[in-house]
Amino acid sequence: MATTYLRRAYSSFAVHILDIPPRLLAFLMFLLVLSLPVTKPTEHILLLLIQASIMAIFACSWDLLVGRTGQISLGHALFFGLGAYITALLWFHYDLPVWVTIPISVLIVTGLAPLIGFPCLRVKGPYLALVSMALPIIVVSLISYFRDYTQGERGIAGLPGFFPSLPYGQRFVAEYFLTLFLLLVSSVILYRIANSRTGIVFVSILDDELASKACGINITKYKLMAFTISGLFAALAGAVSAHLLASGRSVTTASLDANLSFMVVIVAIFGGIGTMYGPIIAAYILQLIDQYVLVKIWNVPSEYHMLLFIIVIIILVLKWPRGVAKFVTDELDDLQEEREIEERGKHIWKRYRRKKRSPTPEA
Amino acid sequence: MHLLEVENLNKRFGGLTAIKDLNFNVEEGEILGLIGPNGAGKTTLFNLISGFLKPDSGKIKFKGEDITGNEPYKIVNKGIARTFQVVRPFRHLPVIANVLVALKSARGSKKIEWVKTPEAKALGLLEDVGLSDMMLESAGILPHGDLKRLEIARALATEPELILLDEPFAGLNPIETELLTKSINSMHLDGHTMVIVEHKLYALMKLAKRVIVLHFGEKIAEGTPEEIAKNKKVIEVYMGRAK
Repeated sequence: MATTYLRRAYSSFAVHILDIPPRLLAFLMFLLVLSLPVTKPTEHILLLLIQASIMAIFACSWDLLVGRTGQISLGHALFFGLGAYITALLWFHYDLPVWVTIPISVLIVTGLAPLIGFPCLRVKGPYLALVSMALPIIVVSLISYFRDYTQGERGIAGLPGFFPSLPYGQRFVAEYFLTLFLLLVSSVILYRIANSRTGIVFVSILDDELASKACGINITKYKLMAFTISGLFAALAGAVSAHLLASGRSVTTASLDANLSFMVVIVAIFGGIGTMYGPIIAAYILQLIDQYVLVKIWNVPSEYHMLLFIIVIIILVLKWPRGVAKFVTDELDDLQEEREIEERGKHIWKRYRRKKRSPTPEA
Repeated sequence: MHLLEVENLNKRFGGLTAIKDLNFNVEEGEILGLIGPNGAGKTTLFNLISGFLKPDSGKIKFKGEDITGNEPYKIVNKGIARTFQVVRPFRHLPVIANVLVALKSARGSKKIEWVKTPEAKALGLLEDVGLSDMMLESAGILPHGDLKRLEIARALATEPELILLDEPFAGLNPIETELLTKSINSMHLDGHTMVIVEHKLYALMKLAKRVIVLHFGEKIAEGTPEEIAKNKKVIEVYMGRAK
């Protein structure tokens, strides 16, 4: 009895949530995260959220390329790392301020992206995945080869931060708002691109390249376009993260690491490939599981940390293969349908009862 | 001048000759039928004209311009559209978005000034083929007959001068065949030139004024539908030699 009531309460709640337009819902969620520093969270939590925002931008950029255009990239850290390294090198050699180095670095990577993409997009499917995996490794070896210029494996430390004038404690809050703002801007831009007419062409390439060609689409051009846009936002995430206090204000070859490339794939798949908003939610959820639930609540020793994290992800992906975002929307659709059927059922039942009560001509 | 000229076209796959020394022309405004038994090279010919395959030798000219071996999208943007024998919709996209993709091509987007938005034009095209009711449905759930008509709407969106229809009637029930015949006829009245590959001879004979018969990549007959139906060689190819 209680369960039926709970279920009904849940379903009506869900249906009412469904009635809220998605834009308003997104806005409300944004207000929620915006008001979070009011609760005076610890530095650890802020740090975690800042990293989650960076990961969310990165995952969104991956989602445009892979989720919408279908060009599988397993080396997306290439753009992230290039963005981080170029801004760091600009500071290291020319002593430029942050607000100059980041835009220049993003512009350089955006210019490089078509050059990188052109040979990449000659190959398809698994071969593309393989080529894209190899590229960051090449860059890492280049960095160690030119160690006089790039500092090699030691990386570049002590990069300038964003808010040098603020006291230490408040810098995290400021960085939190900065990354949140960047996430908002870039996700809105990416979402708009993904749902524009150009975005439709991206999906047509994912669905059927041949048919897309037969529609008169220059698919190489569109693939390069997706590659470049995706590279731009990945580079932005990388360049910004290099200067964050939350990431130690340093750049090492870890920013080009395969771990990062795989992490972004995990985030996007967990959130729901091709949704553009799924990866954002997933970045926060996974960051919370990874850095908070496992570390602070369950007190997992660090050597088992990664193992448990992977197990959690495997279970979640098995349970929701289409991603969290798709799972939630599907569930809401199902509830809506169930409710409609229930209404119709009641109606039929009433008619049946009425018929039974009224005397039939045969009787 | 002919709209499309095919000169001494050859194509082989390994040891198999798919197209052998083929010559034919397509005149402006006509409906040309292309028939032949299975494996005669009809679809290969379409793939050669639309650029999906490169010929071994020979020339394809469109409006006097050599288009042999061009990229498929360039050929579409010159004014040759095609449909596929096996339907190839963009299954993740809504029906109207399928047409919008074609309207995003260089040729499809160029000729759009007289309507306000591409969406309006796409809707008009869907109305022409009778699919406007389900424009927001995902293309993946449409029945086969609707997808065939969607392919035609998509081809029309690129404002083609020549349309290559690869077995448009395959797998359609009589009512769907009737509907499609109507839309092909109205396309013809609008001044589109068409080449139709078809196995359903009854449907084809009603549309085409001129028919070419292929057999193992060679042209064995050409003429009006009546002439073709009486041609001994054609009957032999389809039915076997009379004893």
